[in-house]
Amino acid sequence: MAPKKDPKAPAKKAEPAPAPAPAPEPAPAPAAAPAVDLSAVKVEFSADQIEDYREAFGLFDRVGDNKVAYNQLADIMRALGQNPTNKDVTKLLGNPSADDMANKRVEFEAFLPMLQTIINSPNKAGFEDYVEGLRVFDKEGNGTVMGAELRIVLSTLGEKMTEAEIDALMAGQEDENGCVNYEAFVKHIMSV
Amino acid sequence: MLHSEFSRIPDHSSDTVALVQSLLDQVQSRLPCGSQHTIKAAVLIQRWYRQYVARTEMRRRCTWHIFQSIEYSGEQAQIKLYNFLGYLMDNFTPSSNERKLISHIFRENDVCRDAEWERYFCYKNIEVPEIYSGPHLTFPLTVEQAMGLVEAFRNKKQLHSRYILQLLLETWKLLRKLPNINRISTCQSKEITICGDLHGQLEDLLLIFYKNGMPSLEKPYVFNGDFVDRGHDSIEILIILFAFLLLYPSNVYLNRGNHEDHIVNLRYGFTKEVLTKYKMHGKRILKLLQKIFSWLPLATVIDQRVLVIHGGISDSTDLGIIARVDRHKVSRTWSDEEWSNSKFLQRRASMTYPKPFGTRSNFQNRSLQDFSDRIREKVEDEVELCRRRTLHLEEQNQNDENEQCVSIQSVNSDNAKEEWKQILDLLWSDPMVQDGCIPNEVRGGGCYWGPDVTEYFLNRHNLQLLIRSHECKQEGYEFCHNRKVLTLFSASNYYDVGSNRGAYVKLGPDLVPYMVQYQATSMTRELTVRQRFRSALKVLREQLFAHKSDLLSTFRVYDTENTGLINLSDWAEAVESVMHLGLPWRMLRSQLVTCKSSEGMISYYEWFNELTIKKPQTDHIDEGLIETLYRHRSTIETIFRIVDTDNSGFITIEDFRQTWKLLSIYLKMEITDEAISDLAVTIDSNNDGCIDIDEFMEAFRLTDKKSRLERGRSMFMGTATDLTKLEGDPNI
Repeated sequence: MAPKKDPKAPAKKAEPAPAPAPAPEPAPAPAAAPAVDLSAVKVEFSADQIEDYREAFGLFDRVGDNKVAYNQLADIMRALGQNPTNKDVTKLLGNPSADDMANKRVEFEAFLPMLQTIINSPNKAGFEDYVEGLRVFDKEGNGTVMGAELRIVLSTLGEKMTEAEIDALMAGQEDENGCVNYEAFVKHIMSV
Repeated sequence: MLHSEFSRIPDHSSDTVALVQSLLDQVQSRLPCGSQHTIKAAVLIQRWYRQYVARTEMRRRCTWHIFQSIEYSGEQAQIKLYNFLGYLMDNFTPSSNERKLISHIFRENDVCRDAEWERYFCYKNIEVPEIYSGPHLTFPLTVEQAMGLVEAFRNKKQLHSRYILQLLLETWKLLRKLPNINRISTCQSKEITICGDLHGQLEDLLLIFYKNGMPSLEKPYVFNGDFVDRGHDSIEILIILFAFLLLYPSNVYLNRGNHEDHIVNLRYGFTKEVLTKYKMHGKRILKLLQKIFSWLPLATVIDQRVLVIHGGISDSTDLGIIARVDRHKVSRTWSDEEWSNSKFLQRRASMTYPKPFGTRSNFQNRSLQDFSDRIREKVEDEVELCRRRTLHLEEQNQNDENEQCVSIQSVNSDNAKEEWKQILDLLWSDPMVQDGCIPNEVRGGGCYWGPDVTEYFLNRHNLQLLIRSHECKQEGYEFCHNRKVLTLFSASNYYDVGSNRGAYVKLGPDLVPYMVQYQATSMTRELTVRQRFRSALKVLREQLFAHKSDLLSTFRVYDTENTGLINLSDWAEAVESVMHLGLPWRMLRSQLVTCKSSEGMISYYEWFNELTIKKPQTDHIDEGLIETLYRHRSTIETIFRIVDTDNSGFITIEDFRQTWKLLSIYLKMEITDEAISDLAVTIDSNNDGCIDIDEFMEAFRLTDKKSRLERGRSMFMGTATDLTKLEGDPNI
């Protein structure tokens, strides 16, 4: 699959952009090229939505400088109902180093086009998609998957989960044979 | 194959990453369908899971925020009550009935002379029946007896009141000899263990002893206040701590917390706990504890380098002053002597300042500082007036005496004020991120202090670390101010099951803090965050309902055209301006407002219908009054219990009438004498001239029976939603 975004010349770093449509700014080419051109993203939120996001953003600011750390961005977006992968977010940030992820911070105005990008991306998944996703592991086609297999897959493929995360996810879901009825599983966890 | 693909990459660094990605994707797409789907499925689930975790964390934070802000506003209400009572003392005219009531309250709640107390507390005539299966104590205590106590409490036994009184008397004797500031040293290899707030949670104390060992000659302990209130087993914790204190007076140190205060205990459950567990002798036990609390030391210094105090400091905290005060005398209530001296002042005050009461908004916005200032003003004026009088008139003994009283009083007042502030700061303050020092408006007492104040204070007193408690922390502890201040909290699951861990600190001769964490019950499943969130919301809705009138009038200000609608931003702004809880209202809105709104507008009348709590059957009582009663239910109950000076659970009709008048002033309720009489008659259903406080609160649905019985576990001032009740609730 080809990447969706066109790799253009590196755009702005994390600078404040005006809330509606920011004008594209030519900036000097940095060493690591970001894969996404945020300055070209048109922010289409209503004033009310922006205030909602601003409140949520503020809740994640533990330092008091009206910014949040790079490594918090994915969680803020998830708290706001989006579903990015960690890779999606690091791409938005220009694939920063682990050090940058922990130490660099981003302002609210710079956050908005990132959020807009994620919202615009067509990777939405509903109940059916999750069930379909789990059906892949239903070897016998009987509506259940092997808990053990699920655990292995989740810990070795894709954006790997830790053992603790998997335990929490699977808690109470496996029956006496170690099987999970996945439709019920999805209904149950989606009712959160 | 791959090599050839790579060789076609143009040497253009900015495109490299993207192109490599593209190639990898293509490679992946050439894998057999199964694997491709597998990876996609895995990513889907992982993505979903991470979103679930983030949203759960948000809910957890909101829940915490809600519980904490309501807790602090309760403390604020407490201090306001203090201020109000103090203000009343300063301002009532001599002829009023209310003043008689106040004098009655303050005299009775007071600390009397020692000889009288010895008689009152005599335990010798209390017999221990044969069927008693709890521990027996003989004094001086032995190690086996102390261990026996711990074991007995672990097995849910209760100590007999005879032994409690005996134990408390010994404790009182010991505490009177202790200085205000304990000074201890780690000498050689001894590690000192320091514990924070316990709040009646015996499980946590037992867990600490299990992990760390009990106090002994080799194992010194410091307990940093707030041993009581909120939890079920406050008295048991006190018994254990005092027993070890008596056993090892050089190895066990207790600091006073803001909850070691009999008026706070009236509100937060300790008084109720003692009266329930000790029906016959509870009142005596409480009176003795009142004295003991006032004699608890205020601070502990380790190796002259580490200061341990319950709350914190302010920019005026001075350990020299703290060391010198008469700690058992410093309080907001006055002794008999000061009371009779002040009678003179009161008379003058009412004539010089004809406007006795401020408006309600004045009360609510005042900090303790404001009231102190007003007192000082009055006193200085009185001294001046006195001087002028003596110049004119012939000297009578009476005048001389009065003048002397006044001038002593004015000096005492100034000192008393300063001392009161020093102690209040020590027990109520919280650290903040920014520099400076500002009054702690949230709690209503003490201040918020910044890193610069810490720096200055530590340098001035040659210290290197400040250990304090007073604030619940999710991990049981938290450093701030460049690791110069350590907050330590030892009551795990404080807000509710799973909310936080507890921690204790070990300090060796190197004075490097070593933290140990724990949690009293096993970790709950993550999904119960949802249940806790729901219960927090329920409490929040009750609070909103209790402020309906204010909210309504504020909404109307925004809704200039009287459409009954308000937009979302205005709603959030209006609610915060009334509630002052600092909560993320926009995030909570979808949970709090379920009635449908059109195009970003909320129909607020509909919303209030949603919020309405079941109303009591007392139809003849005005709805506005009900709302006011509901909002201040905790304060009302506290005032009743203060008036109930012998802790019997009953107050006379006459006292009820007087109290009601006071309340109507404080709460700015319009209520006629007739309405008060009606109320009194309604409540005193058996016409014996006495009102049962609990029945009164229940009659107005200000508490419900079940939560009354569970009061020991309540966080919300006696009207907590019973969380265990919610477990089986299908709606959650």
